[in-house]
Amino acid sequence: MSAQFEMQLYLSRPYLTRQQILCAQKNTIHDRRSYNRKKLLIIKFLTDLTLQLNLPRKTLETAIYYYQRYHLFNLFETELCYTVATSCLVLGCKQAETFKKANEICTLSLRLRKMSNINSEVLDAFKKRIFQIELRILESCGFDYRVNNYVHIDDYIFKFGKTYALDVNICHTAWIIAYDVLKLDLLLTVPQHIIALATLKVACKLLEKPENLCSQYEMGNTDRDLINEAYFSIINFYINAFDLCDLKDNLPSYIPPISIERFMVLKANSGPEEGLTELTESDVGSDRFLEEQRQYSVRERRYVLSTDIMRDEVEALKISGR
Amino acid sequence: MRESYSKENKVGEGTYAVVYLGTRQSDSKKIAIKEIKTSEFKDGLDMSAIREVKYLQELEHPNVIRLMDIFMAYNNLNLVLEFLPSDLEVVIKDKSVLFTQADIKSWLLMTLRGVHHCHRNFVLHRDLKPNNLLISPEGIIKVADFGLARAVPNPREILTSNVVTRWYRAPELLFGAKHYTYAVDVWSVGVIFAEMLLRVPYLPGKDDVDQMEVTFRALGTPTEKDWPSVSMFPSYNKLQIYPPPSRDELRNRFIAVSSSALNLMCGMLEMNPGNRWSTVQCLESAYFKELPSPSNPADINISSS
Repeated sequence: MSAQFEMQLYLSRPYLTRQQILCAQKNTIHDRRSYNRKKLLIIKFLTDLTLQLNLPRKTLETAIYYYQRYHLFNLFETELCYTVATSCLVLGCKQAETFKKANEICTLSLRLRKMSNINSEVLDAFKKRIFQIELRILESCGFDYRVNNYVHIDDYIFKFGKTYALDVNICHTAWIIAYDVLKLDLLLTVPQHIIALATLKVACKLLEKPENLCSQYEMGNTDRDLINEAYFSIINFYINAFDLCDLKDNLPSYIPPISIERFMVLKANSGPEEGLTELTESDVGSDRFLEEQRQYSVRERRYVLSTDIMRDEVEALKISGR
Repeated sequence: MRESYSKENKVGEGTYAVVYLGTRQSDSKKIAIKEIKTSEFKDGLDMSAIREVKYLQELEHPNVIRLMDIFMAYNNLNLVLEFLPSDLEVVIKDKSVLFTQADIKSWLLMTLRGVHHCHRNFVLHRDLKPNNLLISPEGIIKVADFGLARAVPNPREILTSNVVTRWYRAPELLFGAKHYTYAVDVWSVGVIFAEMLLRVPYLPGKDDVDQMEVTFRALGTPTEKDWPSVSMFPSYNKLQIYPPPSRDELRNRFIAVSSSALNLMCGMLEMNPGNRWSTVQCLESAYFKELPSPSNPADINISSS
């Protein structure tokens, strides 16, 4: 017996520009203020979960990447976001090789949300929902496991710190800044080693230490644009949302007091704001990958990592005239 | 869009997946479709499936099975893999198949190349055994089943020692080490090498305790002299101390193999993981430079005579 399938084909695009993110979110996030407010609560919730489960920062970072990625292609619903977040953590534990039983994560998740009567029936229903979302998360990532695999921000802060013989205080400050970074969309925009470099650059500036990370780190122009994108995103966050940052409340004693003004001065001294080149609005708007909501009603959905496979498929379609 | 694969008959079923034979429509090439059973696990998508995709996406080598595609169908995750009709276990067990020293050399060389590729990409396989060394229609050995694989850990990361099928488990794992390296895979390849030469499993322990007994009786109990701090493992004190086998004893065990073949095996089956040969040392060993040359994989006849 043989069967043939009706298919949709997606090429993995693990990183998107700010405009592309906004374009995708247009379909999925109808109330941006509500999304942003909830996102901060979710980060706090996931942080509490990871702390209580004794999980490392890389697991938290992976879960937050999944949460943000999920909402690029799936509708944001306020009543569902804690369930999505729990599912992201379950999957994050698997991806970061810090495995925890789903039972343990789900029970704690329900308990942290002050749910009463957590019996086996409630737990099973919750787990069922979690596992359904798990696959949707992976689909929104295009089953691309290359992200969040070997490279995590905190690991790389210390690796770069060691390689370039940076002062321990610089690394510590960068590590605290890296926690604030999780509140931005930056994980969706640039790879984690670039974020690590950008946090180290901000830390050097804050501590008024000379830094030439960009010239030490052998990079091409693309890397420079990526670092600038990350660097200015971080500085802008501290300028635009200083009250939301954790840095001000966890300032090590060796850093002079900070304020918005301090970051404004940093920005003024950093030269013209540069970063990733955005496509025109019409180009972004005509990108079907971003414009169309995911069709889970299409029964077969295929995910590829290579543009070559995509090209081969297009050629095959032309030849067959389909 | 019309899909480019057809799914045909079921060829196997594992704990977390069902395997179907299929065809790629564009070139009628046979493929294997692994359908992951997502709903039946109490912890959701199985770790083995995640690991399989995660590491096969990173690895591309003639001696590593190729993950060709991933698709969701009827809400099930499907992995499209190249179709490999046989495996080394079947060939070793089938006594009607006759193979030569050159054939063994060829299989070992292909296995080591595949494992070396994993290691240089920072991946530990952690389940090497003849059953996971699949053979393509062209006779090429491909390392498969990455369900237990993981990235090389950071120095302080704690790992489970409950990996690798018992007969192929390195001594540090038998001792319950919480941190280990690439050396666990090299040990497994060493045991597979011996099994190819003997055509019976080399260290067939009946259970975990017996595995230690069998391993150390055959290869000698490690001592502080050749493996400093080995006695710190909790289970060490209960061990019977056996002397390592003499060179003559090994020659009797593996009749008709060259001295460099024995050197290579001893390097791979070195008790102290720190002294165990790396895949580079194995690949550069004199065994692969001396005659007979490894057989051309396509010329090895693995069908029953």
